[in-house]
Amino acid sequence: MHLNTTSSHLGDEPFTLGDSATAIVPLATAAGLGLLALTAVLGWLEHDSFRHFFFSYLVVFCFFLSISLGALFFVAVQHLSRAGWSVTVRRLAEILAGALPAMTVLFLPIIVPMLLGSSSLYAWVSPAPHDELLRHKLPYLNLPFFGVRAVAYFAVWGLFGRYFLLRSVEQDRSGDPQLTLKMERASAVALILFAFTLTFAAFDWLMSLEPRWFSTIFGVYFFAGTVVAGLSAIILMAALLQASGRLRWAITTEHYHDLGKLLLSFVIFWGYIAFSQYMLIWYANLPEEVVWYRARNAGPWGITSLLLLFVNLLIPFLGLMSREVKRRKYLLAFWAVWLLAGHWLDMYWLVMPTYHPACPPLGLLDLGCLLGLSCLYLAAVLRVAVGRPLVPLKDPRLGESLAFENL
Amino acid sequence: MGDPEKQPGDAEASSALAGVLAEFASAEALVEAAAAVRAAGYRRWDCHSPFPVHGIDRAMGIRFTPLPWLVFAAGLTGAIVALLLQWWTNGVDYPLLISGKPLFGLPANIAVAFELIILFAGITAFVGCLALNQLPRFAHPLLRSERFRRATTDAMFISIEAADPQFDAAATPQWLQSLGATAVELCYEPVAGRAIPRPLLMAVVVLASLAVLPPLLIARARLVKSTEPRIHIITDMAFQPKYKMQAESPLFADGRAMRPPVPGAIADGQLQDDDHRYRGKLPDGRFATTFPMPLTEALMRRGQERFNIYCAVCHGLAGMGDGIIPQRTTARGKPWLPVSLHELSVRSQPVGQLFNTITNGIRTMPAYASQIPVEDRWAIILYVRALQRSRAATLDDVPAELRDKIR
Amino acid sequence: MTTIAPGIADNTVNDPSRRAPLVIGRQTPATVTEQVCRIAERPRPPLAWYVAFTVAASFTAIFFLLIGYLIVTGIGVWGNNRPVFWAFDIINFVFWVGIGHAGTLISAILFLFRQRWRTSINRAAEAMTIFAVICAATFPGIHIGRVWLAYWLAPYPNQMSIWPNFRSPLLWDVFAVSTYGTISALFWYLGMVPDLATLRDRATTRLRQFLYGLFALGWRGSARQWHVYERAYLLLAALATPLVLSVHSVVSFDFAVSVVPGWHTTIFPPYFVVGAIFSGFAMVVTLMVPARAFFGLKELVTLRHLENICKIILVTGLIVGYAYATEFFVAWYSGSPYEMFAFLNRATGPYAWAYWTMVSCNVLAPQLFWFRSWRTTPWKMFIVAILVNIGMWFERFVIIVISLSRDYLPSNWGYYKPTWVDILMLMGSFGLFFTLFLLFCRYLPMVAMAEVKVVLPHQPHAAGSEAQSG
Repeated sequence: MHLNTTSSHLGDEPFTLGDSATAIVPLATAAGLGLLALTAVLGWLEHDSFRHFFFSYLVVFCFFLSISLGALFFVAVQHLSRAGWSVTVRRLAEILAGALPAMTVLFLPIIVPMLLGSSSLYAWVSPAPHDELLRHKLPYLNLPFFGVRAVAYFAVWGLFGRYFLLRSVEQDRSGDPQLTLKMERASAVALILFAFTLTFAAFDWLMSLEPRWFSTIFGVYFFAGTVVAGLSAIILMAALLQASGRLRWAITTEHYHDLGKLLLSFVIFWGYIAFSQYMLIWYANLPEEVVWYRARNAGPWGITSLLLLFVNLLIPFLGLMSREVKRRKYLLAFWAVWLLAGHWLDMYWLVMPTYHPACPPLGLLDLGCLLGLSCLYLAAVLRVAVGRPLVPLKDPRLGESLAFENL
Repeated sequence: MGDPEKQPGDAEASSALAGVLAEFASAEALVEAAAAVRAAGYRRWDCHSPFPVHGIDRAMGIRFTPLPWLVFAAGLTGAIVALLLQWWTNGVDYPLLISGKPLFGLPANIAVAFELIILFAGITAFVGCLALNQLPRFAHPLLRSERFRRATTDAMFISIEAADPQFDAAATPQWLQSLGATAVELCYEPVAGRAIPRPLLMAVVVLASLAVLPPLLIARARLVKSTEPRIHIITDMAFQPKYKMQAESPLFADGRAMRPPVPGAIADGQLQDDDHRYRGKLPDGRFATTFPMPLTEALMRRGQERFNIYCAVCHGLAGMGDGIIPQRTTARGKPWLPVSLHELSVRSQPVGQLFNTITNGIRTMPAYASQIPVEDRWAIILYVRALQRSRAATLDDVPAELRDKIR
Repeated sequence: MTTIAPGIADNTVNDPSRRAPLVIGRQTPATVTEQVCRIAERPRPPLAWYVAFTVAASFTAIFFLLIGYLIVTGIGVWGNNRPVFWAFDIINFVFWVGIGHAGTLISAILFLFRQRWRTSINRAAEAMTIFAVICAATFPGIHIGRVWLAYWLAPYPNQMSIWPNFRSPLLWDVFAVSTYGTISALFWYLGMVPDLATLRDRATTRLRQFLYGLFALGWRGSARQWHVYERAYLLLAALATPLVLSVHSVVSFDFAVSVVPGWHTTIFPPYFVVGAIFSGFAMVVTLMVPARAFFGLKELVTLRHLENICKIILVTGLIVGYAYATEFFVAWYSGSPYEMFAFLNRATGPYAWAYWTMVSCNVLAPQLFWFRSWRTTPWKMFIVAILVNIGMWFERFVIIVISLSRDYLPSNWGYYKPTWVDILMLMGSFGLFFTLFLLFCRYLPMVAMAEVKVVLPHQPHAAGSEAQSG
């Protein structure tokens, strides 16, 4: 490793978002709310107690949540491993993770109807009296405990999301290396809590859609998708910012290469976890476990499952294998977008068969929720980013981040 | 750091000049000198260092090795080989049904495919590395230099071959010195030349000839027919000095090893001449109405125990026809109900007929002769009579001392 | 590159503005070479080596004698019986395969993550992998009963016209462990070639020159060769990484594809892999703490290296704890009475002592590594490492023996007791492992000299020419 001179260019370029971004926030919020309201009206017109609407909303909610969670994971791991290479992209991840408190608000359309008695989304909210299995699960699958757990998850995520962002921004001003040590210590606790909250959130919000089914690896499966989504979002964010003329010296080819390597690794990891879950259940063929996959093997859902395999594993694996692809930011950004789309498909495939076993009910509700929540998520992220530097200006390892080279 | 040194004790006149070796003090000096050598147009030359020096590849203009492509091709081959192997052996040549799994199913067959991808690719990486590096190569002029021994510890060298068109025995060493070499020496080919020593060559030829023998012998064995049994190194219990069924025997006139039983022979316990006991029939062919053994409390208890084991699953513990099997068939919507043992049609049957039913089955009830020994069948019938009495009793059947206990 | 301050004796200080030095003392390529080669070159190893070797070799002898006894007499000399048909044999197999994984992780995965501190320990760790795989492979080999028919596992055309059953995870194991052994050996050997060349060039006897030279393949340190070599190393590292994940996953499939309660659970593959790394790193500590002391390698295998290993032990231990918690929760959540019983039985049944040993050693003991002194004091981390190894052996015991001893049919429940052959064979396998490792220390380069030289702090010109006259 040898020091190159690009670090001296850092002072020459804009490293904040600027005023135009400030103006977008209220616009995006309004647009998002409007679109969601419109979608809710469309959902009401289906006359199914908003069931279709809730399911579509859950898919998109989990999609955006997993981006922020993946970013939080990235930040915590970089601190824990004392990584030097990632410093210049870490602020982008911190910003994405900083949107986690906003996700708490976006969870309300799910929890509030449940508290008002709706069992459109989760059948276990009002279980049939003779159903012994659901009665057995009552100590866990009951509304009050569910609500308390949700509060706990968002508390942990929101607190740590804010913590890492605020400490890092504080370091922009003070340059105090002790802050790095504090964040390193906090990241250990953060990751432990992250593991448990993520797992149980996946159990609560996704696995319990099919309350009779269970899989111990389900939390890990959701985690794998989360990291892929988070990394893809970071790459996309970096490419977009550089396309708009910012951070051209701060984020180098080497950073994209490393992010690409991590992305490929976690694409493979996702495939490995997905395969483990599928193969073990396929092999033992126990009726209580197979039921979940049978719903996803039949007819149009079977085609969707195959599509998922190709979109999320086989094609990006071949695409990201090449060293050259990982070093070209727009090619890498293409794969990032591809994988984000694939992750949405993954969420869809996890959630929707419970609502509509016959075939994927793609329609306006999905589009509406996607567009609406995109606007709201964008607003949340921009709100966090506005006025803050996009690079940790005085991180002690900044120089190392600008100077490293890949093999 | 003086004139070019000669190797001590060498018959320079009779051995050819191989090249020149120049030592440099540091990695930086080496890289600079390498760039100069390349710029000067030399083609057959190399740098030597105890560890890979950063930047030397660029300085020397070393092109990217094709090894990654070879490895990728090998991995692909491994995948194809593995999948074809599994499909053909388990699916086509000797199809084996294992617990209902498909004859060729990716979930079960991916693991071996994955391992063979890695195995083929890894072996190719190793062998390819050696092959592309032209290793092993034990005889090399450079290895004869004393000074060169430090190349693997801490010294750095540049060597230029005499075969290079630009090489000049006088000028090249001088020029290298001017580049900053701390020492320059000429290298000579080994006196004996580069040929492989004769004894080694002979040994290889002999071994190769011997190695060809086993495959030839195997081929011969497969093509030639033989009346001898195949060679068993460990016979296990494959050859036993006993006569097997359908075998010949010279001891008997009819040549059979299996002997027909003596006419009129009956196996122990198979006489069963007592029709009453063994078939529940009277001499005139009608069903017996009495038990063929004394009726005791022990017999009744045995009957109860045996009834609960064998009969209650269908007939129910009280003989009502409400056992667990009819319960489950009813729950599944396809009721299969045995007759109640309390029906008049059953109560009026003589015990011999009940015995016949247990022994041979009736309608959809299977025969229990193989599971329930004869004595136990009578015990069960005794208990069935007790059950029947329990539902069809009159006051007279109750013993006098217990009559006032009835409500 | 941020400033490196060479010469600090304790490199565990955590200062974000600079990277800690990876070697201690003013090390040059020459001093590194001297420190490492001296071990293999001196005529007599330290007395401790002889003592250790005698003990290890005796246990190895016992191991081979017992294998002979087993083959001649039969599997009945073990305690395996209905319903616990798999016991020490498979526990030991999984245990040793797991230990091997740390070596590959240090070599391959840490290489891909550009963790330069790995260079001091990767050679010894890879050697540990090879020897662990050898120990591991013996057990499935001898447990099949008719060992002389082991070749039936290979798919070759035969007179019975029959093929192995590729749908069985036991056969996937054959392929996985063979591939793992092969690739690890190739990776280890390829890494050693430049160092063997060093030993060849420093050899003082003809025999050593011949033997080291033979295996060094004529390596000349040529830059063109280094280029291909580095590429091959990177490719092998990139291949070994998914390999190490897949091998222990395939081992976990042996259990997870069944329907036995406590075995059939989807989290087994990643849980086993993390557990393997956990136990493997503990074994690395067990080996390197004494080795660095007795062989004078404290300046190359520094406290920082040991501290990093301890941190990895802590992380993987926490993940193992997470897996225990998830399994326990989902066993209840599933509502399956068999699953719930299996877990209650582990904690409260006849083998509860094994379960609680496992939990204290695997979940509680590594928590000591939150405290800095436990991470940076060799004898303290040695204790924790031993506890972790014990705990991980018991984890396989808990999974295999407890689930088998009580499954669906109460009429089929039984209590397993190991025989003296079982126990002595386990100890014997440790003997084999340590014998091979001690031989490695004696004759082969224990530290990857060529790789350490790359991570040395940048040296000025002077050091090179002064060393030449030596």
